[in-house]
Amino acid sequence: MSITLDQVTKRYQGSPVVNDVSLEVGEGEFYVLLGPSGSGKSTLLRAIAGLTGVDHGRIALHGNDVTHVSARQRGVGLVFQNYALFRHMTVGENIEFALKVRRMKAAERRERRKELLRLVALEGMDDRLPTQLSGGQQQRVAVARALAHKPPVLLLDEPFGALDAKIREELRRTIRQVQRELKITTVLVTHDQEEAFALADRIGVMNLGRLLESGKPDELYARPATRFVATFLGAANLLLARQTEQGIRFGTTPVNARRVEKLDGGREQEVVAVLRPEEVELAPTRDNLRTNFIANGIVEEAVFTGALERMRVRMADGAANAHIGTHSSNGHHSPTALLDVTRTQHEQRLFPVTIGQTVAIGVRRIHVLPTPLSSYTAYGADEAACERLAQHPLLVELANRMKTRIIKRVESALAAGVATASAPVSGVAVISGGPNSAEQLQWLLQNGAGEVLVLPTHSASPQRVLIHWAEDSARRSTLAVAASLLRHVAAEAVYVGILPEGSGEAQRPFGVRTLLDARSEAQAVHGLEMRTELRFGAAAEELQRQLSDSEAPMLILGVSDPAQLRHTFGALFAAGAPYPLMVVYRPGRDSEGVSE
Amino acid sequence: MAGGPSKEVLAEIASRPGRDTVVSSIVKYVLVLTSLGFLAALLFAPLATVFITALSKGWEMYLEAFKDEDTLAAIRLTLTVAAIVVPMNTIFGIAAAWAIAKFEFRGKSFLITLIDLPIAVSPVVSGLVYVLLFGAQGWFGLWLQERDISIIFAVPGIVLATMFVTFPYVARELIPLMQQLGNDEEEAAITLGAGGLMTFFHVTLPKIRWGLVYGVILCNARAMGEFGAVSVVSGHVRGLTTTMPLHVEILYQEYNFVAAFAVASLLTLLAVLTLVIKSLVELKRK
Repeated sequence: MSITLDQVTKRYQGSPVVNDVSLEVGEGEFYVLLGPSGSGKSTLLRAIAGLTGVDHGRIALHGNDVTHVSARQRGVGLVFQNYALFRHMTVGENIEFALKVRRMKAAERRERRKELLRLVALEGMDDRLPTQLSGGQQQRVAVARALAHKPPVLLLDEPFGALDAKIREELRRTIRQVQRELKITTVLVTHDQEEAFALADRIGVMNLGRLLESGKPDELYARPATRFVATFLGAANLLLARQTEQGIRFGTTPVNARRVEKLDGGREQEVVAVLRPEEVELAPTRDNLRTNFIANGIVEEAVFTGALERMRVRMADGAANAHIGTHSSNGHHSPTALLDVTRTQHEQRLFPVTIGQTVAIGVRRIHVLPTPLSSYTAYGADEAACERLAQHPLLVELANRMKTRIIKRVESALAAGVATASAPVSGVAVISGGPNSAEQLQWLLQNGAGEVLVLPTHSASPQRVLIHWAEDSARRSTLAVAASLLRHVAAEAVYVGILPEGSGEAQRPFGVRTLLDARSEAQAVHGLEMRTELRFGAAAEELQRQLSDSEAPMLILGVSDPAQLRHTFGALFAAGAPYPLMVVYRPGRDSEGVSE
Repeated sequence: MAGGPSKEVLAEIASRPGRDTVVSSIVKYVLVLTSLGFLAALLFAPLATVFITALSKGWEMYLEAFKDEDTLAAIRLTLTVAAIVVPMNTIFGIAAAWAIAKFEFRGKSFLITLIDLPIAVSPVVSGLVYVLLFGAQGWFGLWLQERDISIIFAVPGIVLATMFVTFPYVARELIPLMQQLGNDEEEAAITLGAGGLMTFFHVTLPKIRWGLVYGVILCNARAMGEFGAVSVVSGHVRGLTTTMPLHVEILYQEYNFVAAFAVASLLTLLAVLTLVIKSLVELKRK
């Protein structure tokens, strides 16, 4: 491996800007780090170059640990967004700088300079000053300069940011060519998905300091694991669906799309489905569709953009309720029930539509996100409590980031303690923390809730999320929930393993193994990087201690028996916890019911 | 553009012929003449007086003034002080500017305020501070006396006071410049394998050179011309602790006008030279 990052963390004023990133870039690979501004991608690149120290983790270049090696000794080739050429030196002097530092002979230097200038197609420009060059030419010089000393890896920090579209494309081609010719391992940072697709062998998508997903461009596009990647790479319609044994159902419409991927296990549950605009088919009637019908709709908007026609279709029936928003990478968010559709010229000719026309909507391919957190339902005993909870800043933030919706549901039974709910619980149930929260939690679990979020009246965005499960049978689903949640929160994840007080040295290896297993499962199955801590004592007390030691903590607690909540963790609820608490409940036997 | 006159109205006003243009040109000339008058009365006249008085008894007497031992000693002392103070403040100034522009640390804004302090404080106070510290009755007075070290009423005191007064010039010139130029070139140099010294001399220094020259010139001008602070600590010992400005005062008080103005003319020429170099540097910076 050319570049190996292992749990690299960089904090700025206490909050992590790069959060437990592990990554391997292979020999000669072109890796693109993609993410919105502030996602930590540039900080990560600077950490690889050695210009920024890391607070935790390990960095290795070609197998050599360089975590504590200075930037000067690492000697990576680095290209900056604003070129950073030495303005008082000529192009030739700029390129030769690294060679002069290494005391290379003048004749050899000249030779190498010529070679590099040929590589970036700037022959004969040796004696120009940077100010006499165009932006694109300056960046070529910067690339040549970074390559002069034959660095182990080439790092590019938004190298096209300051250039206009045409030069950008030309330079992109040059860089790809140079990279292929030299077979040098390259990491490029960008916020532009088009650039990422054009250059990358592999793309890693970062958000909130975390590396969410990493993979080949086409795979990431076709099978994203997270909402963020689904909507950041290309445009996507997100719909809530129910997954049953027969397949996917939108509202009351069953869809038997051929390309629906099956989740493991048969438990009926709410899921998030991704519909790419280009996978949607429109036809005059349901019978004319060649693909699976999902709804009827009315065309609200149609824009001709050359090769493609972009449309918005308002879904009419059942499926409309399922829609939780359309998101395209430009950050634009359309109101619910409007489906983004793109059609090719060919499709347009086959079925021309006009605005206001009623059409049948079909879908060629549905991708189901492997996340257990689909939507939030705020439960309250009365309208006001419900409303208050739905306005809770943390909940609103979470729902926004997860691009999902908050449903309000008034359940008088919540206060009265009546046994059955008026409607089945779906998605994550949310209740407000307080003296009654323990009973409300029990009631929700009895009524089929799988995940319950207990929010105290005042709570900031968490910075440290503790994860704990009471029994191994809850491990899988707790990790899945934790991974899904942590993708949307800039917080550190810490798994707390607790052994009973007095368990002697003999127990210790077992405890440590549990921790390591948990960590590797989180990493392998869910792509979640987390720390681990081993404690001895009573579970509730130890957790309580950990929580009060942390700034802005949150707890994710997995249980497989509601009685555990009362007996083992009662202390956590006694005073109404002052931190957000997510309870994941899976009955013991059904622990494998939800995967990922 | 809410609230303001519309574009059409502005265009219409701009196209009106005659009256407005005449008025504005009158205003222009009145303003220019006023400022020129002030300059003439307050700047050019005194400057001219310096040279007229210095040369009033002819060239011979003018040159005679520079043959006096004490005058020569004053010139020597001024040059010595400048030769010590300017390089030191250049180094301090670069160090302070570097620290402020490149690093984040606790008390940064306090340090910036501290750098500005000598400009805000009256020079007399700057001098008195040193008297209070190192004078015979000062904090370290006894300790220094026991070891037979004299700072106040001696050259070290003059150097210290001058250094204090001229400290801000280099740093203040460099801080905004370094902040504006950023760190990227230095970081590029480091990743290319350059060490700290090489990065400084081959990347940073060339980048800031004109700003630095400008700061050094100002620092030098002030170091040679400083009167207040130096006057307090010097003790006015003729031929030993008088710098040129102090010597001018002494000669003047002895009614030796020609000599006084001759030395003053030298200081004036120095100022003119400084301004010329400064304009050249400014031209170069553009």
